[in-house]
Amino acid sequence: MRKYMSYLLSVTVLISLVLAACAPQATPTPEPTKVPTATPVPTEAPTATPEPTKGPPDLTGETITIYHFGDLSGPYAAITAPLIHGAEDAVKAINEAGGLYGATLDIKFADTAGSIDEAVAAYDRFTGEDDNPLVMITYGSGEVEALAQRFATDKIVNISAGLSARGFYIDSGYTFGLGPIYPDQIGAVMAFLKEDWATYKPAGAEDDIKLAHLSWPTAFGQGSLTEESRAYLADLGIEVVAEETYDLSPTADTTTAILNAQAAGANVIWTNTLAFGVSVVLNDLHALGLRDQFVVASDNWGMDLATYAFLAEPAFGVGLISPFPYLWWTDTDNPGVQYAQQLFVANERPAAEHNVGYLLLIAGVDMAMKAMEHAIGTVGYENLTGEAVHDALVAMSPFEALDGVVRADYSAGSRSPHMTQIRMIQGGPDAFVVLQDWTETPDLRPSE
Amino acid sequence: MSALRPAGEFDTSYARDMATIRRPWQWGLLLASIAALYMLPSLASQSLVSLVNRIGISIIAVQGLNLLTGYTGQISLGQAAFMTAGGYISALLVNNAGWSFFAALPVAALGAGIVGLVFGLPSLRVKGFYLVMATLAAQFIIPWFTRNAFPEVLNRAQGLNVQVPVLFGVEFSSPQRYLYITVTVLILSTIAAHNVSRSRLGRALVAIRDNDLAAEVLGVNLFKYKLQAFFLAAVYAGAAGALAAHNIRHLNSETFNLTDSVFYMGMLVVGGLGSSLGPFFGASIVQLLIEGATLFGPFFTRLFPSTAAGAVQALRPLFFGITLMFFLIFEPRGLAHRWYLFKAAWRLRPFSH
Repeated sequence: MRKYMSYLLSVTVLISLVLAACAPQATPTPEPTKVPTATPVPTEAPTATPEPTKGPPDLTGETITIYHFGDLSGPYAAITAPLIHGAEDAVKAINEAGGLYGATLDIKFADTAGSIDEAVAAYDRFTGEDDNPLVMITYGSGEVEALAQRFATDKIVNISAGLSARGFYIDSGYTFGLGPIYPDQIGAVMAFLKEDWATYKPAGAEDDIKLAHLSWPTAFGQGSLTEESRAYLADLGIEVVAEETYDLSPTADTTTAILNAQAAGANVIWTNTLAFGVSVVLNDLHALGLRDQFVVASDNWGMDLATYAFLAEPAFGVGLISPFPYLWWTDTDNPGVQYAQQLFVANERPAAEHNVGYLLLIAGVDMAMKAMEHAIGTVGYENLTGEAVHDALVAMSPFEALDGVVRADYSAGSRSPHMTQIRMIQGGPDAFVVLQDWTETPDLRPSE
Repeated sequence: MSALRPAGEFDTSYARDMATIRRPWQWGLLLASIAALYMLPSLASQSLVSLVNRIGISIIAVQGLNLLTGYTGQISLGQAAFMTAGGYISALLVNNAGWSFFAALPVAALGAGIVGLVFGLPSLRVKGFYLVMATLAAQFIIPWFTRNAFPEVLNRAQGLNVQVPVLFGVEFSSPQRYLYITVTVLILSTIAAHNVSRSRLGRALVAIRDNDLAAEVLGVNLFKYKLQAFFLAAVYAGAAGALAAHNIRHLNSETFNLTDSVFYMGMLVVGGLGSSLGPFFGASIVQLLIEGATLFGPFFTRLFPSTAAGAVQALRPLFFGITLMFFLIFEPRGLAHRWYLFKAAWRLRPFSH
């Protein structure tokens, strides 16, 4: 028996080595993944661009597939459903309007349940069934970070709502953001507060901003405090006096975190979470009677219609400050917003989804559509690849998606926009008032 | 469960009595199955190969849990945390120390085993529900450690990018290539787990599971054997964690979470506790259910277009929950038991009752 086993083991190891050497390889061979050395990424328009094709091509009968995957059954499901519906409604509308030069857009989704393992599985499935995947859309920071290298290696454009700096700039190259990375967001808001601290500071607060970072203990929740953002805050003279975490749950108790922030002398709270993450902080601040001692600010996802669903009272949201790197449903004079509103009504989406996710993903699909159109115009449909779409996004920059709902600029090696508004909740739902119109965020991307 | 055999069929030597594979055709089937697994990358689609990779890694993790829970009766909800430990050890050895993955893998398994020993310490004093709580602590402490300790090395919540394994210049970067590693480790882990269950250690573990007081009276050192069970379970988890980390190519405190631990326990229940086949059945069935839920989601969405996305696309928890409930009610001994019954009925035919 033992003899058989040793034979079996030897043969097994030998076979595995031989077969591994002969096995198909992901094309092309990836760059080494050592951290933090970065994969070199083309940041300019392609050098050898073929001659532009004459006139719009007729791609009737062709199908171009956009893939997207995200958490629909895990902790981030609340925000993912409207994102998915936005993407799917946008694709449907494009097809009804004649498609992309006549080609039908298809969109395929996979639920990852918030599991990175499942995100990789979805990626493998999609890349396995399509010889030439062009664009994928992702929604989570963890997924973006885990897959960034694969997107770069396989030259597939990833348009992402998960705005982790690491996912965009470490071992990356093909991941493009729908908004500024979280370090840029915290930097923009803190610079704004620093500039006008006298106006916004709580009564009795010191002249110096003392920041408490209260957030989820996840890649997303901790995504705003990086080496670069810490250095930037220090340059602004802002001291991070407390770093606390709380559970990724709509019923999380943040009392201890808030009291620790108070004890540390904080006068500004930043939370890098979704609507329900901000809401628990605001609810607990009111419950503790400490709301007037802090300016509360969050990343862009914190200021959303969904926030009101989790607030104990709508008035608790008043005073929340966020970067706002897109227009809002109330900007009804914008044709992009009007278009999104038409889709929302036509598809009979529930009122609860009239939020940032739905709007932003219509812009995301528009961005993908524009990039593919540009790429087809440049290299022709027969040469359309993820690399061509990547180059199109760079070459088009700066540009506006969905008539200015999103302002993107992927030039100079940047893969995340650097323009944002800063808004404050000053009333009931949708009262997201502009404190500062479009302005440039600090550039706090990590060195590649 | 001992095999039921027709009357008159006897073992004529000790080697035959101990043999796991008893007939030439069983050897043939085993070798053919292994060959089929190694040929799979050339024959199957990438998504299928990727799925088999995940099933293989899950089986290894569940085999460890089987040694602890199935054979020793110590319930643990910390298996995913030990995977985190193994994943980080391997990632650091490969990324920072320049080790080969193939050298780092066993060290990661042993390192996770040592971590498992620490969390196994309460097992002498507490059992049942209380032990579950003690092991649950691992699921909080280890991720906390990776987020807060040595930030310059572990990179806080952002985690680490993990290099792909390389052997003699061959990069195992595609699911197809990675499968060779997974299958090889799975074969080794299966041989080890099966033989542990047949050894003095395995018999001691079963004695502890069946009646720890009686086992102690008979001279079984409870503390020593329980710790050994925790160590082995964590070794398996560590190996699975290292395999998964290098397959995913990224690792942070969220990669292996409490939900994963619950899923592994569910896989073991579905497959069958205390059986070498249980992890194979359980991991395969649950992973296939997950895959099925993902694949059928879009189909259901088209079938019920006006329903909220999560209600019809995110069927995974529903599939898992219903399956677990079904097995707990109708076949609490798992698919492995059902398989043994089937085999017995076949051998004894036409007198199966």
